[in-house]
Amino acid sequence: MIVAARSNTRPPLLCSAVLAAAVLLAAGCTSGGRSEGGQATTPTTAAAPAQPLRVRLVTTAQVPPGGLSAARAAKRAAPGLERFLDRYLSAAYVNAAGGEAGWDGLLGLFDKPVRASARKQLDALSLGQAAPTVTAVRPGQATAKAVVLYGDGGPEAATVRVSFDGTADTAKGSGPVRLRSVLQLLATGDSWRIAAFDSRTGPPK
Amino acid sequence: MIRRPLTWIAALGLVAALTVGLVVAVSPHRPATAQSGQAITVQRAHAGSATPTVKKRIVLLTIGSDSGAPKFGRGGSVETGRADALQLVVLDTVRQRGAVVSFPRDSYVPIPGHGTSKLNAAMAFGGPPLLVQTFERLTGLTIDYYALTSFDGLTDIVNKVGGVQVNVDMNLRDHFAGAFLDKGRQTLDGSQALAYARARKTLPGGDFDRSRHQGQILLGGLGTFQRQVARDPTRVMTWLAVMRDEVKTDLPFPELLRLALLATRVPPSRIQNIPVPSVAGSAGGASVVRLLPGAYSLFARLRAGQLS
Repeated sequence: MIVAARSNTRPPLLCSAVLAAAVLLAAGCTSGGRSEGGQATTPTTAAAPAQPLRVRLVTTAQVPPGGLSAARAAKRAAPGLERFLDRYLSAAYVNAAGGEAGWDGLLGLFDKPVRASARKQLDALSLGQAAPTVTAVRPGQATAKAVVLYGDGGPEAATVRVSFDGTADTAKGSGPVRLRSVLQLLATGDSWRIAAFDSRTGPPK
Repeated sequence: MIRRPLTWIAALGLVAALTVGLVVAVSPHRPATAQSGQAITVQRAHAGSATPTVKKRIVLLTIGSDSGAPKFGRGGSVETGRADALQLVVLDTVRQRGAVVSFPRDSYVPIPGHGTSKLNAAMAFGGPPLLVQTFERLTGLTIDYYALTSFDGLTDIVNKVGGVQVNVDMNLRDHFAGAFLDKGRQTLDGSQALAYARARKTLPGGDFDRSRHQGQILLGGLGTFQRQVARDPTRVMTWLAVMRDEVKTDLPFPELLRLALLATRVPPSRIQNIPVPSVAGSAGGASVVRLLPGAYSLFARLRAGQLS
């Protein structure tokens, strides 16, 4: 009787607990999927970035005698540079996931005399060959230090050290992506073009 | 008796399931690698670099004017002075080779519209355009751009970039130019570089030696630029700022930047320093330098792309 009583009383408890566990498990799966954009359960779905790309830029300027102060010139040049670096990192990493966007957008940021070289070295400048296997890139830290050559009419050129770290999601899992570049930029009136580069991607050798 | 073990197994399974479920549920950022537990390699290591591709051959005339230098008591405009330092820089951008061809300022040559006169007078007659025209007629080369500075400009350039390293090729005690230098590789400041570029009277080869020294300063500047940029790429901006402030040129800024970036890659050892073959002479009682037949052979080789 006692056994029977136990046996009589336990099955309903077990059923409830199993149900609760099933609900929790389901919740766990769903929660994980939501927080990471679902890439764990649906790897082919593009993930929403965990945080938006934001380039932290420190700018200094070289100014002509009798012109703006270096501090003011740096302040004036910074927003345009920041927009340009945002466009670069978006085209090279964040928007490159899946490989459908192609590289024309990125290559358009290069000065014509260096564009052909850039096309041949995309792996050193962007996600490169890995892009088609990547479903999403979650930006991490993006920092840049710029020295701007400021002329009478505004910025003329700049040297920028760019550092970007992020996480790329693929069907097989996720891994870090990394860019360390020195970009020599030419001002084009309302924007910038990359006139030369020295760039590394992937894990440090 | 049969039910009890089953019950325990079910309970244990339940606890395990609950635990896993709870852990997963409360985990705020479950990484996509939870299945494998390790990050995968998405991006392999790659390195790359490039400088601009510019036209295959570039010919640049560098000019040192004797005017427009208030610090040296030289008034007037830098563009209407006499051109006392004259180098033709010929670059083969594909093979990354070049030549700095130094011309004695007293070279006795035809100047369009002004008969035959000393080469340095061409700029005084008609500014940099006439000097460029004179060079083009003389050498048969098309000059793409010129770059002009003064005594003040040269000393300021050298001082602002922190000195240029030059292999001084003789002991110099030239009080006329203020050049007191010992033979050997050394970093010259602005006034030393100017003195080395001007010393002539006490040199065994006179104008010929001076022209060679001027070429050495140009190449020393290139080497210094490259070393500084290799250590700190932002130095490109420093050098461009100095050039902008101290040099007059018809080079559009984008082209100046591209050339500067290209210059980071051309080893100075691949650029020959060639004084134009010449000999001292006289014309109408004035001492001049006459170009030897070897000079015209050199121009022909340069036109043919042979940079030696």
